[in-house]
Amino acid sequence: MPASYIDEAKKQFKTDLVFKAEDVPLRCDPPAAELEVTLHGLMQMNGYIIKSLEEIAGRGANAVTYRAGKKFGHEVAKYFEKKDDVEDALRELSYILHGQYSFEPWKPGDRDDYIVEDESGTFIYLVFHDCIVRQTLRRIGEDQGGPFCQTLCGYVVGAVEEITGKRGKLEIIHTGPNACLKKLILK
Amino acid sequence: MIEIKVDEDACVGCGLCVKDCPMEVFQLQNGVSYPAHPENCMGCLSCHEICPAQALEHKGVVPSRRMYISMKVCNMLRKVI
Repeated sequence: MPASYIDEAKKQFKTDLVFKAEDVPLRCDPPAAELEVTLHGLMQMNGYIIKSLEEIAGRGANAVTYRAGKKFGHEVAKYFEKKDDVEDALRELSYILHGQYSFEPWKPGDRDDYIVEDESGTFIYLVFHDCIVRQTLRRIGEDQGGPFCQTLCGYVVGAVEEITGKRGKLEIIHTGPNACLKKLILK
Repeated sequence: MIEIKVDEDACVGCGLCVKDCPMEVFQLQNGVSYPAHPENCMGCLSCHEICPAQALEHKGVVPSRRMYISMKVCNMLRKVI
């Protein structure tokens, strides 16, 4: 006779392990290769939270997610060295975003410099390659450029503001399946 | 620089790539798409995705990590295909 589900579940979670207060985990468990289901669950849940937020709060969802991202950016970057130079700040930023987002400076073929300074401030175009936001949106089949993308904008702006001490803005120029173009403005 | 090839036999001249590309990389010439400014391509692959004829090929694009793909589904598809 097959064991009942309750018996099976109880057996699965039965352990003689003694968990001591001083036990500090030395690594993530299980290994990353086994975390696919966890990652996908998290991506879907995040996606549906943002989707629901947009349905209820409308355009206000953008402000909420932008602020959340900005707080995260300020929090993460506050331990990093402060930089005045834009290139140095971008290097710090790429270090902060490592593993979640990757970007490269970009310019149209007819332009000489990546970093442009004009009366409105300093700006640079960034192409974002790896992006957990894009991955999540594609996982649940949602449009890009909505409130979830604002979390990344806020995150980058928060981190850049913390590093440079200047006011920042990140505009979404184009979103694509493989990369997105954004304009980082520093004032 | 990214190299773009258009399969002229496959291209139906719908102009979707011309309309979608923010960098105006493509132009319609003689009823087919032509990559007039490939130096402006940033490799977003919007055109690649939107092309109904699958007529575009990009060389030198950095592929972003595709964490959204479920390997369980891919393995099932592999068995079917």
